[in-house]
Amino acid sequence: MRSHHFLPHIADVRLKAEGDSLEELFTAALEGMNNLIKTSSCPAEKAEKELLKEKIEISSIDATSLLIDFLSEVLTYSQVNKAIYCKVKFEKLTNNFLSATIFGKKVDAFDEDIKAVTYHEAEIKKDKKGIFSTIIIFDI
Amino acid sequence: MISKEILKKISPVLWEIPKNYRPDMKVPARFFASEQMLEDVFKDRSIEQLVNVTTLQGIVGPAYAMPDMHEGYGFPIGGVAATKFPDGIISPGGIGYDINCGVRLLKSKLTFNDIKDKLESLAREIYHCIPSGVGRGGKLKLSPEELNQLLKNGAHWMLQNGYAEPADIEHIESNGALPNADPDAVSGHAKKRGHDQVGTLGAGNHFAEVDIVEEIFDEKAAQAFGLHKNQITVLIHTGSRGLGHQVATDYIKMMMQVMPKYDIQLPDRELACVPFNSPEGTNYFNAMAAAANFAWCNRQMITQQVRQAWRKELGEAGGDLSLLYDVAHNIAKIETHEIEDKKEKVIIHRKGATRAFPPNHPEIPKEFQTVGQPVLIPGSMGTASYVLTGTQESMQASLGSTCHGAGRRMSRRAAKKAIHGKTLKAELEQKGICIRAGSIPGLAEEAPLAYKDIDDVVQVVHEAKIAKKVALLRPCAVIKG
Repeated sequence: MRSHHFLPHIADVRLKAEGDSLEELFTAALEGMNNLIKTSSCPAEKAEKELLKEKIEISSIDATSLLIDFLSEVLTYSQVNKAIYCKVKFEKLTNNFLSATIFGKKVDAFDEDIKAVTYHEAEIKKDKKGIFSTIIIFDI
Repeated sequence: MISKEILKKISPVLWEIPKNYRPDMKVPARFFASEQMLEDVFKDRSIEQLVNVTTLQGIVGPAYAMPDMHEGYGFPIGGVAATKFPDGIISPGGIGYDINCGVRLLKSKLTFNDIKDKLESLAREIYHCIPSGVGRGGKLKLSPEELNQLLKNGAHWMLQNGYAEPADIEHIESNGALPNADPDAVSGHAKKRGHDQVGTLGAGNHFAEVDIVEEIFDEKAAQAFGLHKNQITVLIHTGSRGLGHQVATDYIKMMMQVMPKYDIQLPDRELACVPFNSPEGTNYFNAMAAAANFAWCNRQMITQQVRQAWRKELGEAGGDLSLLYDVAHNIAKIETHEIEDKKEKVIIHRKGATRAFPPNHPEIPKEFQTVGQPVLIPGSMGTASYVLTGTQESMQASLGSTCHGAGRRMSRRAAKKAIHGKTLKAELEQKGICIRAGSIPGLAEEAPLAYKDIDDVVQVVHEAKIAKKVALLRPCAVIKG
């Protein structure tokens, strides 16, 4: 289970992401960011071999930083390759390290120019029901 | 929770939060605002962020916020702070993700009457000549080696390669190039993000604008600046694009990882910092300088594109567009300031704040020595912008700094709900402002109602004497992504 929705922010974009596991949370956050970059851009399931692929490995000081660093890395690939990376397959995901493959497709244009994924207000919390959540602020 | 009750009133436009407000404060916090602005000041976390800045290792003198302040990442936007050279910290959050976002003003020899019948076509041609909008690349395609040279040499590279006039260079802050720039300190990711973006506006609140000088407040300064009433000028606002954003992202991540070895603990991750003279601090400063050089090249390339559009639409009769000045409002510099009666070499962080050097300062062009450095303050789209001068008072009162713009007061979503882009366009056109925008929703996000009143912001800095009003500019054409 995972979800995301946007919340008000005075200058930039505030996203809340939730998931019933760390992996689901990270995926929800990715979906939220993609929705911001290009609304409704992610296709229904497509064969992995048809999509652009990038391998990512990141070490960070904690799970929250890892999430922000993950989104930053995907954002960079998005901007450099002019693509949206809708799908992620995690090979390993701990509180301090992830390795994953992201799958995407080229796009003609973006709806939003994200300057950066910030650490501001980001803090992964787990509630009594075991749901992970965090706020993420995108500098646009 | 900070409230008005703890404030100490230094003057009608300057307030202080004393050092004893919080045990981790090393210095007081000061901010510029009128009494009427105080309500707004406490609506977001900018004051709390300013107090956080006062906890930074090596900070000297108060931390400051300008009257256009609002909540940012780490420092508030409008934040200024100095740390002791060489071992005080340097913090990317004190510069911002858009390194060397800044403004330049071009002067023409024309008045509004000279262009009013060609305004539409001129706006269309400028829009055509400057790539704008999300993800748009520019016309200048750089090889990796060329990019490295550009990062190293800044505006000088533009001159050497035919994209600048000699007179442009001395009219750019720091002559358009920070000498410590090191392309090797800029990551491959950053170079890939920025390699095709020289000469692009981007989106959001970045723009090019054709303005009329509507009012002159200081005849002597206006004359020194070459400004007169009804003169047509062009204002350009943009920064270091994806390259600068990536530099900031890279180094914030890196600094968070190494801070423990310097025994640095912070109230806010986004204040991530290291000692300036550490290897990481040196690398960041040198990468920041390279990104700053990139931004100056970006604004220079856009200038050439505007000149091209000018020539095409107006021909010989259009005359030249000369550069008055180019200022950075997200940058760190090494400067000498008098702090508590002592001359100190410091690392100045300006985030959403503009340098405002006084008359006779050696770093400003000769022709401005008698009046002070030009300060350019863009308003929101469709409202006034201002030209001011730096003052001696700013050196004492605000580390040689002043505001940078209007500051947002409404979210983008709320702005889009409050007014439709098409309605806004029609309203601005009715006021005689020609609009060329790549995104109608993007236009609504930048509606004047989403911003604080620029007149109020500038009046505060004028009253505080940290910059002096010279001229008011009114837009007649706005070009944005």
